[in-house]
Amino acid sequence: MSENKKSSTGAVMIVGGGIAGTQAALDLAESGFFVYVVESSSTIGGVMAQLDKTFPTNDCSMCILSPKLVECGRHLNIRLMTMSEVEKVEGEAGNFVVSVRERPRFVDAEKCVACGICAEKCPKKVKDLFNGGLGVRKAAYVEYPQAVPLKYVLDEQNCIYLKNGKCRACEKFCPTGAIDFSQKEKVHQIEVGSVVLAPGFKSFDPSSMDTYGYGKYPNVVSSLEFERILSASGPFEGHLERPSDRKAPEKIAWLQCVGSRDSHPNAHGYCSGVCCMYAIKEAVIAKEHAKQGLDTAIFFMDMRTYGKDFERYYDRARQEAGVRFIRSRIHSISTAAPGSDDLRIEYVDENGTMRVEIFDMVVLSTGLEVSRDARALAQRLAIELDSGGFAKTNSFSPIAASRPGIFVCGAFSGPKDIPSSVMEASAASAASAALLADSRNSLTRSKTYPPEDPSVHAEPRIGVFVCRCGVNIASVVDVPGVRDYARGLPNVAYVAENMFTCSQDTQKLIIEAIKEHRLNRIVVAACTPRTHEPLFQQTIREAGLNPYLFEFANIRDQDSWVHQGEPEKATAKAKDLVRMAVAKAALLEPIEKLQAPLIQTALVIGGGVAGMNAALNLSAQGFKTCLLEKRDELGGHALEVARTWKGEDVSAYVAELKQRVLADANVEVLTGAELVEAGGFVGQFTSLVKVGGGHREIRHGAVILATGAEAVEPVEYLYGQSQRVTRWHDLEKLFKKEPELLDSAEGVAFIQCVGSREPERPYCSKICCTTSIKQAIDLKEKKPDLDVYILYRDIRSYGAREDLYKKARGLGVLFIRYNADEKPVVAKTSVEGKEKLKIRVRDHVLGFPVELTVDYLNLATAIVPKGLDELARFFKVPLNQDGFFLEAHMKLRPVDFATDGVFVAGLAHYPKPLDESVAQAGAAAARAASVLSKPWVEVEPIVSIVNQELCIGCGMCEANCPFGAIRLQEVKGKGYRAETISASCKGCGVCAASCPQRAIDMKHFRDSQILAAIRVGAGGGA
Amino acid sequence: MSENFEPKALAFLCNWCSYAGADLAGVSRFQYPPTIRVLRTMCSGRVEPLYITEGLKSGFDGVFVFG
Amino acid sequence: MKVIEHLLDMAKIDRGRVRLRWVSAAEGQLFANYIKELSGELSELGPFDPSRYSLQLSAIESVLNSPRVRWLIGMDRQVTERGNVYSRKVDAAVFEQTLRTVCEAEYQNGLILELLRSGPKTVREISETTGIAVKDVSKRLVDVEKMGAAELSGYEGCSPRFMRTAA
Repeated sequence: MSENKKSSTGAVMIVGGGIAGTQAALDLAESGFFVYVVESSSTIGGVMAQLDKTFPTNDCSMCILSPKLVECGRHLNIRLMTMSEVEKVEGEAGNFVVSVRERPRFVDAEKCVACGICAEKCPKKVKDLFNGGLGVRKAAYVEYPQAVPLKYVLDEQNCIYLKNGKCRACEKFCPTGAIDFSQKEKVHQIEVGSVVLAPGFKSFDPSSMDTYGYGKYPNVVSSLEFERILSASGPFEGHLERPSDRKAPEKIAWLQCVGSRDSHPNAHGYCSGVCCMYAIKEAVIAKEHAKQGLDTAIFFMDMRTYGKDFERYYDRARQEAGVRFIRSRIHSISTAAPGSDDLRIEYVDENGTMRVEIFDMVVLSTGLEVSRDARALAQRLAIELDSGGFAKTNSFSPIAASRPGIFVCGAFSGPKDIPSSVMEASAASAASAALLADSRNSLTRSKTYPPEDPSVHAEPRIGVFVCRCGVNIASVVDVPGVRDYARGLPNVAYVAENMFTCSQDTQKLIIEAIKEHRLNRIVVAACTPRTHEPLFQQTIREAGLNPYLFEFANIRDQDSWVHQGEPEKATAKAKDLVRMAVAKAALLEPIEKLQAPLIQTALVIGGGVAGMNAALNLSAQGFKTCLLEKRDELGGHALEVARTWKGEDVSAYVAELKQRVLADANVEVLTGAELVEAGGFVGQFTSLVKVGGGHREIRHGAVILATGAEAVEPVEYLYGQSQRVTRWHDLEKLFKKEPELLDSAEGVAFIQCVGSREPERPYCSKICCTTSIKQAIDLKEKKPDLDVYILYRDIRSYGAREDLYKKARGLGVLFIRYNADEKPVVAKTSVEGKEKLKIRVRDHVLGFPVELTVDYLNLATAIVPKGLDELARFFKVPLNQDGFFLEAHMKLRPVDFATDGVFVAGLAHYPKPLDESVAQAGAAAARAASVLSKPWVEVEPIVSIVNQELCIGCGMCEANCPFGAIRLQEVKGKGYRAETISASCKGCGVCAASCPQRAIDMKHFRDSQILAAIRVGAGGGA
Repeated sequence: MSENFEPKALAFLCNWCSYAGADLAGVSRFQYPPTIRVLRTMCSGRVEPLYITEGLKSGFDGVFVFG
Repeated sequence: MKVIEHLLDMAKIDRGRVRLRWVSAAEGQLFANYIKELSGELSELGPFDPSRYSLQLSAIESVLNSPRVRWLIGMDRQVTERGNVYSRKVDAAVFEQTLRTVCEAEYQNGLILELLRSGPKTVREISETTGIAVKDVSKRLVDVEKMGAAELSGYEGCSPRFMRTAA
């Protein structure tokens, strides 16, 4: 650090504790920065905590969110500041002073044990806004059972004592004396190096649009209210009922674009981007909930299922779940009959016929908007907003706010879904880390665990915790029955059942139970070890137990969810699984964590926009990075693109990016380079690169795969047979090269979805609608009398791109919708001796076929992955059904793989526009940095162990190990003996299974442990 | 054999592939008969043939190995 | 897996009771389908009674525990794909045949030794209970005698009786 430059502050403030804020906080805290999370409500979690399920995997929202919240809540380097708001930010990037105003909670968080007596005794009932106002809570309350921190709060607006000076019932009954009416507002001055704004969104309030009768008809609900109706912890406990009479509905309608794509004064012109998918999800889940048949109908304008696996989800909803999709915008809802709670919808169907349907319930798919509070925050902080009220950013730095050192992520900078928010959150953390690289680790603290309890070697005393998971498990499996059954199993010393075993308060209960009952082995019967084992392992470690004295019984993902119609058999299976887990647990042994050396450099494969951004960020964070590009020139597909849809100059941007990369001393660029082999593991990868006629070996600790994708060459629509049929940017380039061609042209058409959304490629290529519309606008602006047609299936101009669609229509671009089973037909023709193209297509508005004559046809062809199979094999990562990389988790780990140290960015993950590639590149860099910023890699110590007495040194294991993780070593006086290389060992156990002497065993999966589980598996049960 | 005999099978699932696949079946609510009792291994290569005989000896009607 | 199937065949346990299938992390539907399919097959086969097969199962175990078989299994890919110590690749079919022969011999050894747990038996008695031809029983007895696992214990008339000496 140079003396004359003031060093930065190694702390970051995150404003907003939703999923974006939580992710940013965790990334930064894991990369050596101290983090303050400022949240205005009493708990972190945000809107995601209110959701029932998440698309497209139908994961239980709370189940995947809760571990992150818990981790955030107990991270040593994260300080949660709930009930707080940022007043002002002074100073400059690197050294800010933030004033935070903290409202009183009136509950001493140190003393509150969340027993809930205050809420029980509180006489004041209040509408429960967390449940969309459908239920009631008390003035003393917690927002939801998995809240973090799990501390009660008194609602200042409604508390009788605080308003009228009389009551204090809570204070009288609180067993720990935690109620504190003397708490006053406090203002904190906090020094941080950067600020990340993630205040999220607010669901559009439809009560201003009186034609929908929201607020007037009780069975017209908003989509967020419907999420709460579906939720097991919601007002109706997960039973699908309608608010007016709690009757199970038989017919539900969803109305799309409520408050979005609407020019009314109170509504918004932009598309909210997520409503199509959540409506499909709600319809599918509602059908699952309904005991008898449920009819669901979604009324929409364009179905915008543009994300990864979204189109499949839409197909399944239509074809398998039987959700009805009706292309019609509904303008009003009325009662079915005077005095009836049923609702009447009139609409015009696709054939132009007027229809009337009666529904039991109508869900308004309300859009996303920035709240008044967030807009006020932006004003206080001098952050510019765009016309939609979202934080203004540009495509090249989608997470930078208009004020240096302040970053934005999540729905605050535009409507978006959870994975995009998570990506931006990681990207914002990468940008912060780059800014503050000189002060990394300057303000962080390190964790010390209590010493491990030696009692593990005594008689096993097993604690079994059976999770209800709301209704996810308990609605199928008899949880109390399983708990009582577990009590009778050998070595079981304690049993309990929990509503959500993963919630923070249950972690405390587990720790207390371990101490009180001297438990030395823990079994949790719940969702799946793949997501939740680490959480529980950390919990028992905090109680002084070695984390490997833990076993999971999967009674949700592999039981209650897959045997929904057979509760008794599912319960019997749960008992068997618990019995097997207990049998194995009794034989578990403590295992010491291993640390493996780490090469603190990264390899980025692919020198496009994503790759270059990732490399530059890693370099700025202080990590040497090698950037590999197959072609001789950096830039990738962005070289073909002139401008973004917002009009920004892409060529200039790419040129500048290239220059920065080439000038960066920390980045080594290898062009014309090809990866021919790769191996190793997190911390120590070795890649062999063919470059400049020779081979180079590169050793690196992490790798980012950013190899991009390509547009398919179609065989339809005369492509390749006529010079007049082009694809993507070819027409643009042609007109640029030969402007006279445009001058003499009379008509140009675009056909969308060429090769996308087809049975063999059932996904949307996401960027084509916007690209074609942009090109159509350019043509119209250059030559207003040109006829421009866009032949489409659904226009997917999501988010603010809707403005572009509107503009195109305003300029007279003609949009003609076609059906997949009635594709346009293109033929060559000639008009007055001039060669032309004739396109026949059925116009769905007019209801009959039309014939267009144009000079040029440009095709928006599908974006397909290229050559990922080899990379997938090299780095042991999976591909999805469409051949794109399959990330570790679609929602919450959008750039990670299950294989540590490997990350993905850009189009190799899924087709996406430039701004999203840049954000994802930042995210991948952040995730790679969280590996590289540590002094070593913590290795899963589930490795093989060789019994040196039994080993005869035959070398069979060495020959068979797929990871090169076991070798022969000379042992004095014994000849050769096998030895495990723990850092490379993946714990697969091939060596153990193939050892002729049976001299090799696997830690945590020992022969004896597995056999014990097998032996008890079949017998007994219920 | 009898029509309503429901077998009980031991299933070995590898942590990275088939166990994740089985979880995905759950997440997607693909229903299947409650016949299997699952043991997770880090890799299907860990499954000793001896585990299979042990399964049969312990009273399972069958053993499935998923790689 | 081939070995296990081969051993099941010898023990007359239906192959349908042990199945190997490949499912990736993205194939939830496939997994559910397999469980449906394989469970259906199993219910066709009916319940498995381990007590009826205890002799056979123990014999299979002894095969799987025998270093000879474990060696062969372990060497499979090495000698068929990379070549043996003389850098000669062994033909996969030849290798499989060898493995089969060894398994068969080891299986019969195991069966005989298991049977002898219940007391000394004559060659004919052994042949009757195990279904191994008399001439093969004699061959196997030479094997197990060499291993020091069984020996002649006396005569019943003029038929020799053999007893188990291994633990």
